[in-house]
Amino acid sequence: MIAYIVRRVLLAILTIWAITVLSFLIIQLPPGDFVTAYIATMSAGGAGITEGEAQALREQYGLDQPFHIQYLKWMGLIAQGNFGMAIEWGRPVLDVIGDRMVLTIVISLAAIVFTWALALPIGIYSAVKRYSFLDYFFTFLGFIGLAIPGFMLALIVMYIGFAYFGASVGGLFSAEYADAPWSLERVWDLITHLPVPAIVLGVAGTAQMIRIMRSNLLDELRKPYVMTARARGLSETRVIMKYPVRVALNPFVSTIGYLLPYVVSGSIIVSLVLSLPTVGPLLLKSLIAQDMFLAGTIVLLLGVLTVIGTLISDLLLMWIDPRIRLGRQ
Amino acid sequence: MSLKKMTRRDFLKLAGVTSVGAVVAACAPEPTKVPAPKPTDAPKPTAVPPTAAPKPTDLPKPTTAPTAAPKLGATLIGKLEGPTIVRETAQFPKTFKEAPMLADLVKAGKLPEVAKRLPDPSDLMVIKPLKEIGKYGGTWRRAFTGPADHENGNRINSADKVLHFDYTGNKIVPALAKDWKVSDDGKTITIYLRKGAKWSDGSPFTANDFLFWYEDVYLNKALVPTPFFEFQINGKNGVMKKIDDFTVAFEFPEPYPYFVYILAGSTSMGAGFATRGAFQTNGGAYCPSHYLKQFLPKYSSEDAANAKAKAAGFDNWVSYFKNRYSWALNPDCPTMTPWKTVSPINTPTWGMERNPYFWQVDTEGNQLPYIDKLTMTLAENTEVANLRAIAGEYDCQERHMGLAKLPVFLENQQKGNYTVRLDPAFNGSDVALHMGNAYTGDPEIAALIRNKDFRHALSMGIDRDQLNEAFWLGVGVGGSTAPSPDTIYSPGPEWNKKWCTLDLKQSNDILDKLGYDKKDGEGYRLRKDGKGRLRLEMITVGGAFVPYTQIGEMIKQQWKKIGVDVDVKETERNLAFGKTANSEHQIITWANDGSEMLFLFARHALPVDTAECHMGMAFAKWYSTMGAQGTKPDDPEMIRAFDLFRAAFGKKEADQIAAAKEIWKIIVEQQWSIGTVGQSPAFMGVRIVKNNMGNVPERQVNAQHARTPYTSGPQTFYFKS
Repeated sequence: MIAYIVRRVLLAILTIWAITVLSFLIIQLPPGDFVTAYIATMSAGGAGITEGEAQALREQYGLDQPFHIQYLKWMGLIAQGNFGMAIEWGRPVLDVIGDRMVLTIVISLAAIVFTWALALPIGIYSAVKRYSFLDYFFTFLGFIGLAIPGFMLALIVMYIGFAYFGASVGGLFSAEYADAPWSLERVWDLITHLPVPAIVLGVAGTAQMIRIMRSNLLDELRKPYVMTARARGLSETRVIMKYPVRVALNPFVSTIGYLLPYVVSGSIIVSLVLSLPTVGPLLLKSLIAQDMFLAGTIVLLLGVLTVIGTLISDLLLMWIDPRIRLGRQ
Repeated sequence: MSLKKMTRRDFLKLAGVTSVGAVVAACAPEPTKVPAPKPTDAPKPTAVPPTAAPKPTDLPKPTTAPTAAPKLGATLIGKLEGPTIVRETAQFPKTFKEAPMLADLVKAGKLPEVAKRLPDPSDLMVIKPLKEIGKYGGTWRRAFTGPADHENGNRINSADKVLHFDYTGNKIVPALAKDWKVSDDGKTITIYLRKGAKWSDGSPFTANDFLFWYEDVYLNKALVPTPFFEFQINGKNGVMKKIDDFTVAFEFPEPYPYFVYILAGSTSMGAGFATRGAFQTNGGAYCPSHYLKQFLPKYSSEDAANAKAKAAGFDNWVSYFKNRYSWALNPDCPTMTPWKTVSPINTPTWGMERNPYFWQVDTEGNQLPYIDKLTMTLAENTEVANLRAIAGEYDCQERHMGLAKLPVFLENQQKGNYTVRLDPAFNGSDVALHMGNAYTGDPEIAALIRNKDFRHALSMGIDRDQLNEAFWLGVGVGGSTAPSPDTIYSPGPEWNKKWCTLDLKQSNDILDKLGYDKKDGEGYRLRKDGKGRLRLEMITVGGAFVPYTQIGEMIKQQWKKIGVDVDVKETERNLAFGKTANSEHQIITWANDGSEMLFLFARHALPVDTAECHMGMAFAKWYSTMGAQGTKPDDPEMIRAFDLFRAAFGKKEADQIAAAKEIWKIIVEQQWSIGTVGQSPAFMGVRIVKNNMGNVPERQVNAQHARTPYTSGPQTFYFKS
C-alpha cells in the first residue's frame, strides 16, 4: 500500500518535470517570439516600433538566446520560487496569476456546486423512475445542454440579459465595485453576478453528469444484490442510496483529476466571452502574445494540478470503492 | 448567424429612415470630398481664430427630400473640426482658474496655487475649445483590452509630444515646444521649450531633460542598443545639443528638414515620453531626469542599480528602468500629459486622474483638462466592449468599436443615450492584398507575382463595390492603396482608381496573353508546367478589426470569373507575420493604415521597414542595410521608388511632397499591393459619444500620425451634466 503511494508520487514528480520541458517547448514552437507578437499587436492597433527597438526588446528579454538556455533560466528561477516576469504585464508571473486566482476558484466552485447539486439528484431520479415523464423531460433538457456549446449559451444569455433586463454585460463586478477594496457590498455585488457564469459554465457538465449518473445507476439497479436488499425488506431509499448510488459515484470521483485544473483555469472560451477576470483568458492571451514565462507557468500549474488531482482521485477511489481496496489486498 | 442577418435587415430599414431624417448631411458632399485644408492653403500658425462654422442645426433645411437616397455614411460623417491653439500672447488669459479637486488641495496647503503651477504667462499653451468653455469634473469611462492596449491611453494623452499636428492632420503645430526652427542648410532643427513648464510632480521641465535622455538613455547601449533610424539621415547619426535651459538643437551631418515631421509624428523621437515609455523602448527624445537618475548605474553603481531592481522583482536594472520609464505601468512616473496613471495598466482597471501641473489652459484661463478622471475597464474581448458601448457604459470610445456592429449601435442610440459618429481614415485600403513580391517558393507562381501585368489582371478582377456593400456597409471607398485625395501626398483622385476598377474583359485578355488561356472543366486556368490548376494562396488573419477571411472568400468568388483560383488560408496572426518576415507568402491581406503619411510610416506602402513588412521582407532588408543584406529587387521601378524615398528625407517640403506623389504613382502603377476598399471608418473610426459630452467634434481626423483622438482635444472634452 505505502510502496504503491510512494511509487505514484515519484512517477508524478517525473511527469511534472516532463511537463515543464514540454510546456516550454510547445510555447516556443510557433514561429516568432514575444517581440514578433508584440509588433503584430501594435500593427493591428495602428502603431509600430522600429527594427532597432525590436532588437533591443529581444536582448532585454533574452529571446535571442537558444532554447535550452532560456529553459535553464526559467528552471533556475523556479528553483528560487520565482517564476519570472510576465513580459506583457511587466509584473512577476505569480502576482499576475494570483490576482485572478481567487475569482477563478470562486467561479469554478460555484459552477461545480451548481453541476453536482443538479446532476446528482436528477440523475438518480431519472434512473429510478426510468421512462417517466420527468425522465424524458430531463433527458431532453440534458441533450440540449450537451448540444449547445458553452460560448454560444454565454452569448445568448448575455444578449438576453442586456436586451431585456438591462443587466450589465460580462465581468464579475458592477463598474463601481470593479476596483473597490473588498467590502460586504462588493461581495454581494459579486454574488449577484455569479449565477450567470456559474450556470453557463455548469450546463454542459450538468447534462453530461446526469447522463453518466443515470446509466451507471441503471446498470447497478439491475444487479442481483439490489434485488436481495429489497427482498430483505430494506427501505427503498436505503436500498438505492446505500449501495448502487455509491458504486455509481465512481466516475464522479475519477473526474476529480480533471476538476482541479478546471478549478484554477475555468473554461477558457466561456470566460473570454463573458469577460470574466479569470486565469483562462490570461492563458489564452499569454499564448497569443508568446509571453513564455506566464504561459509556461500556467501550463505547468495546470499540469501539476492534473497530476495531483489524478493522484487524489486514485486514492479516493480506493477509499470509496471496497472492490478496488479489497481487490488489491 | 441569424442574429447577424437580422441586424443587417434592421440596418437597411434604418438606413431608409435616416435617409429621410438627415437631409442636411444628404446635401453635404460625400465623405471623401470633405475638404481638409492642405498646408499650402492652411491658415498661418498665427492666424488663430477659426472661421465661425455654422452648427449643423443652423443649416437651412431643404423642404424637399433629396431625389437620390444618400449613403448612410453621409448622414453619420460630420464636419471635420477640432480645437485650435491661440498663439498671440496678447490674447492670452491673465488670470487662472483650476478644478475644484485641486483648489481643495491648494487650500489644504498640499499644492501651490494654480498660477505657480502653470508655465510663464507668455509661454502658456492656450487652447480655444471647439464649442465652448467647459465645466470641471467627472469621470470618463472607456474600455481597454489589457496591458498591450497602452495606445488606448497614450493617444488620449499625446499632449506631451514635442510638436503636433492640428485637427486636420495636415499642419504641424506647437505642443511641448512652443516653436521650432529649421536652419537654412536643413541640418539643424531647433526647438524652443516653454519656460516654467513643470512635470506632474512639480519639478521643472527643461532642456536638461532632453540632454539627460540623449546622453544617459539614448547613447547608453544597454538601454538603446541600436540607434533609431528616425534620428539618422542616410544612416548617419544625428546629435542633440542643449543651447540653453529652454532651447534644444538636433544636428545632422546632412540636410534633414523632414525631422520636423518626425518630431510631430508618431515616431520613436516624436511620439512623446509617455507613449514611447509605454512601448518600453525608451524613446521620446526627453524624459524626467530628476526621477529616473536613481535607477541608472551611472548615478550610483551597477550593483546598487541591480540590487534595487532585484528588490522590486526584476532581473536587472535595464528591465526595472524600462518599467519605471512607463507612465502606464508606473504611477510614480512624472509625466507632461493631461492625466497621469493612478492604477496601472496591468490591473483590471487602468485609472488616471488629472495632472495638477498640466501646462495648457483654455482661452479664459481655466487650467485643462476639464475632466477629473479616466477609468478604463478591462474587456477580455472586443465583443464585450462593443456590447457595453451599446449599453451606454462608455462616455466616448472609438477604439475597439466594430464597423460591422454599426446597425446595432444605431438601433440603441436613444436607449444608450449616445450618438454614433463615423471618422473615415485617409489610407487607401483597409484590406490590401499585399503581394509576396520577394516570394520564391513556387517558381511559376513567383514569376507571375513579379509580373506587373498579372498583378493588374488580379486587381481588375476584384469587384470593390460588392466588397464595400457587404463588409463596409457602403461607407468605404473602393480603389487602390493610394491615400485619400484630401491628403497632402495624394497624387490625384485618378490614382485612386487606376488599375483598380472592375474590368473582367481586360483582366481576362491579360491572362490569356500571358499564355494562361487553357482552362479546366470548371473554367479555371491551367499552369504552364502541367501541374494542374493555376492556384494562388492568400493568407488572412482572423480576429482582426476587419473580417479578412470572409473578404478573402468573396475575392475568391470574384476571381473565379477571371479563371484564377485562390486558397484562402486563415492563419494565426503571429504565424502570418512570421511567414511574411521570411517572404514565404504569396498574398496576405492586411491594412495599409498610416501609409497616408508616407515618410512617417512607410511599412504598409513600400518594402522598406524590416520591423514589419508584408511586401517582400528580403527587399526591405536590402533597402535598410543599403544593399549589404537581403535581396536586390529585380524590378527597376522598385529601385526607383526606393531612391526617391531615401532622398526625400533631406529635401525641402515642396520637393518632398512632389517625391511622395511620384512614389504613390509608382506604387499604384506597379500594384505591389492591391487595394480593395478604404478611406473608411473600419479602423478606429466608429465613435460612440454620450450625448452629455461637450466639445467633441462631429468628425475627427482618423490617423496614426495625428494620434487620434488627441487632435480633437480630449483635454477640452467635458460633461455638460
